[in-house]
Amino acid sequence: MTIVAGERAEQTRARYPDPEGYVERDGVRVFYEVYGHGEPTILLPPPWAIVYSRVWKMQIPYLSRHFRVVVYDGRGNGRSDRPASAEAYGEREQAADALAVLDATGTEQAVVVGFSWGGKWSLILAAEHPERVKALCFLGASLGFSREPFPYELYPFDEELDTDEGWAKENRHYWLRDWQGYVEWFFSQCFTEPHSTKHIEDAVGWGLETTAETMILTEEAPELELDETRELCTRLTCPILVVHGDEDAVVPHAQGVAIAEATGGRLVTFGGSGHCLQVRDPVRFNLVLRQFVESVA
Amino acid sequence: MSLLEAQREQTRARYPDSEGYVARDGVRVFYEVYGDGEPTVFLLPTWSIIHSRHWKMQIPYLARHFRVLTFDGRGNGKADRPSGIGAYTEYEFAADSLAVMDATGTKTAVVVGLSCGTLWGTLLAANHPDRVLGGVFIGPAVPLAPGHPERYVHSFDDRLDTDDGWAKYNRHYWLEHYVEFLEYFFGKIFSEPHSTKQIEDCVGWGLEIATETLIDAHEALELCGLEQFRDVCDRVRCPVLVIHGDEDALHPLARGAALAEATGGRFVTLEGSGHCPHVRDPVKVNLLIRDFVESLGRSAA
Repeated sequence: MTIVAGERAEQTRARYPDPEGYVERDGVRVFYEVYGHGEPTILLPPPWAIVYSRVWKMQIPYLSRHFRVVVYDGRGNGRSDRPASAEAYGEREQAADALAVLDATGTEQAVVVGFSWGGKWSLILAAEHPERVKALCFLGASLGFSREPFPYELYPFDEELDTDEGWAKENRHYWLRDWQGYVEWFFSQCFTEPHSTKHIEDAVGWGLETTAETMILTEEAPELELDETRELCTRLTCPILVVHGDEDAVVPHAQGVAIAEATGGRLVTFGGSGHCLQVRDPVRFNLVLRQFVESVA
Repeated sequence: MSLLEAQREQTRARYPDSEGYVARDGVRVFYEVYGDGEPTVFLLPTWSIIHSRHWKMQIPYLARHFRVLTFDGRGNGKADRPSGIGAYTEYEFAADSLAVMDATGTKTAVVVGLSCGTLWGTLLAANHPDRVLGGVFIGPAVPLAPGHPERYVHSFDDRLDTDDGWAKYNRHYWLEHYVEFLEYFFGKIFSEPHSTKQIEDCVGWGLEIATETLIDAHEALELCGLEQFRDVCDRVRCPVLVIHGDEDALHPLARGAALAEATGGRFVTLEGSGHCPHVRDPVKVNLLIRDFVESLGRSAA
């Protein structure tokens, strides 16, 4: 597989956005897309700047036949700006982008799907703006509830290591040395299901649309304290669904169990699924999500 | 992938409406019928290295528009595995095909053949013009034009001092490293990126035939000569559609073009496709087949 950043033409899509546009906050522009016009609206925030809104491509065509779907490229990738400070990538900034996209698209209320790190951003949005979030789905999400370190926390991010085997690649120096090497490793861990070459290739291409320098800022960005996160969970009042693969090699399944416990949400476990189950098992995920949305609508 | 997994049948998008066996000279082949539209599209077996499940991307779609008939050819799937080269010639496959049509009450059909399925598809059309409405031939393995030179470097029968590339297409290598051969062979067939699932399926089907039986089936196909095949083509009167991938690593595009010319058929090149475009680009191939089948109805009316 050879992928050269910036040289790829965008693939054709099963469905193209109805309106699209930018919303600007503090000089940072975020690009959004709206599909369909059913009710309610489903907001699919990005999970981390290593990918952008195309990560939802298996959801958009199906869900937008039943509901209205809003996606956006998170700051740092896709058609959004790449601000040059770590503060700009903080979790509260990310939640504020989600809110700004809801405002810009005239969306009073949405069902929000918080995927991976996006689970934290969606939690902030739902807890602090409960009137805007009709229901919340955590998908392969991490809220930091774990006694054991996550795989990507096994090695210190800032120190020069004498190895770059496995998760030792989760390291500032390695990223600067070989960003593509990291992206390929990371997505091999995201897509543990057999026959994932296409999905890995897509995601590696998206990962190469940002840079190691930008991604380091996302690692340095301000994060909630664990107590704050727990407190936000107690404030949730909307219906909660937690979907997690039991072979997730990035955010272990126990995290989904802990989130369901902390939020009183219903846990749906996908047997044999990895971190990006909505990509590898889209029909099943789309049906589970549709059923959830219809149950709260 | 364990062998067990490969051999446990996967779930299907559509199950046959009727199925059964038909025997000729004590050899049973297994057929399936889907749908009840008109006309019948008859998906023929190919070389016995795989069985009728290779049509799985065609059956559910075509059966919504037509009646679909398919069968496991002798040597694989639920069919018997007779021994001896003589059991696997194109004449035997053509006779089995006719027997399946008779057993299922199929007076006429559009035949669709892949690779060496072309040999019995054309034979059926040439010898039974009243039974064959049209022929679709995909990646035809026909002697009308030279093959890829790299496939003719090594002897099939001699023990070789290499197993690089097509040197794996060798009796001794098959007997000693059959799985490795299957992986190589289907890797060449599925030259399109992201074909791991398709390769895994085919390797699984390839493990359902004994190596010795596959050697018989291979040697039988080697018997088909140019003169004899030209004569068959000359006698084909029905409309023909030939579909060939321009990156087919098993049989060059020139073979498909020559078949279209020899039968007066239409030739469609699929850009970037390998030997099995019906598996890797099923929507396109299904639409081509459907258009072809429907065009026959229009010209008859």
